[in-house]
Amino acid sequence: MTANTTLPGAGGIPLEAQQVLNQIEEKKSKYRRNMIIAFVVLIIFMVTTLIVLGLDFKFMAKWLPFILAGSGYTFLVAFLAISLACILAVVGALGRLSTNPIFNSIATSYVSLIRGTPLLVQVYMWYLALPQIGKALEAYGIPGIQRLLTLPAVPAGILALGVCYGAYMTETVRAGIQSIKIGQTEAAKALGMTKAQTMKRVIFPQALRVIIPPVSNEFIAMIKDSSLVSLMGVWELSYRAIKVGRRHFQSLEMLIMVAFIYWIMCMILQFVQEKIERHMARGDRRIS
Amino acid sequence: MTKNSTPMVKITNVHKVFGGTLHVLCGIDLEVNKGETIVILGASGSGKSTLLRCINFLEEPTAGTIEVDGIAINAGENDKTRENHILDIRKKTGMCFQSFNLFPHMTVLENIIEGPVTVLGQKKKQAIVYAEELLDWVGLTEKRDEHPSRLSGGQQQRVAIARSLAMKPKVMLFDEPTSALDPELVGEVVDVMERLAKEGMTIIAVTHEMHFARDVADRVFIMDGGNWIEEGPPEKIFNNPEHQRTRQFLAHIL
Repeated sequence: MTANTTLPGAGGIPLEAQQVLNQIEEKKSKYRRNMIIAFVVLIIFMVTTLIVLGLDFKFMAKWLPFILAGSGYTFLVAFLAISLACILAVVGALGRLSTNPIFNSIATSYVSLIRGTPLLVQVYMWYLALPQIGKALEAYGIPGIQRLLTLPAVPAGILALGVCYGAYMTETVRAGIQSIKIGQTEAAKALGMTKAQTMKRVIFPQALRVIIPPVSNEFIAMIKDSSLVSLMGVWELSYRAIKVGRRHFQSLEMLIMVAFIYWIMCMILQFVQEKIERHMARGDRRIS
Repeated sequence: MTKNSTPMVKITNVHKVFGGTLHVLCGIDLEVNKGETIVILGASGSGKSTLLRCINFLEEPTAGTIEVDGIAINAGENDKTRENHILDIRKKTGMCFQSFNLFPHMTVLENIIEGPVTVLGQKKKQAIVYAEELLDWVGLTEKRDEHPSRLSGGQQQRVAIARSLAMKPKVMLFDEPTSALDPELVGEVVDVMERLAKEGMTIIAVTHEMHFARDVADRVFIMDGGNWIEEGPPEKIFNNPEHQRTRQFLAHIL
């Protein structure tokens, strides 16, 4: 992590070398200091802008609890949708890599179809169009199918987001699996492992490390895209902010507030991501 | 030695064709007895590694029969038992690769117990006891909890050997185990291979380590263009080769 200027054998390091080491250390601490200064200046700049704009902070404080109450939906939708997406992604990736023509073609068309259509259309498809499909099927003689396919807003949103993100993440997982060198598979095979054991014990744990950063990306995007469920009238974060802002003609306050709430949520996620990445980097020579 | 019993490895008329046109192995026969050490020599591209990889079906032979410790698989047959037979052969054969191929996300100990625990279904505790014996045997006890990336190439290859031995294999296959190593690290790996041979392991090795071929091997095979061109005890191959190609090849590497 940092340079070892105080190795156990520090006494043996020649003076010039010690000076070079000190210079390197000095440069590093300077860089850290300047970084902090830059951040502080940026924050001051942002805060002053907010004050100069003449925001009604009292108004913001008054509505904060109401807006925050919507974050429950945001988390619920995002969490369940990402769980669904992860499952779909692993199954999808295995399908994309499968030599079985049926699995492979299903997975390939899933990815192609979902990635090729707007999420907005998909959300409405689950919510508004699915009942119609149900009706058609019921007409063919499947009883109760229409009721089953008429989804409430939140489940429809979770399905729409999960299925959509699952398609994108399928490609991420596939690329992660393919990034593991063939020698690993061969070593596992040579030990007598079955295909499933090889995937579970050898390939997937290593692929996971490669996959975590892009998947966190999806996770963060998902938190924000969860606001799409507001299209179906769910009172989640952004829907509440927009409603309140419009009613009181103070949209700026509400939008800035809700933007900050999203930002903080995503910063927490990013922190978690870094933690996981560091944990996964065990056994890596670069970070010891 | 034990010439009377049936061979541990029996390769009959094995062909391997890559991509429909590249004929790498052209009807190879090989019988290896229990406890024998075989070294295969030959120019690069002559098919040595492919033959070795056919023995544990990392490559599927295009034609011919592979038999290891009584389990025979014909290239042509394609029934339900085939997959299981391949797994059985792999359990009986250990393989060491040129690039070690240790599992980087596991510690040294975890690498060694992976086979016994996952494939053979052993209890972890029991596997660890044997793994520690093996680590001691390859002289790496103190590296038990390190990850492979913190080990030198020679140490990694010794762990890889221990990982294979943890499966208690009947045959060990070495695919150029020292080719990726710095010269000063070759000795420690060859040393382990030599001890393994002395303890009665059946070994088939593709290697350029002439010392190993000369002093440890019971028989040396020379391959060229997917065929044996010469075989015999090392004294004969090295001191009195019959074939012109053998002489050329030896002149190149000695």
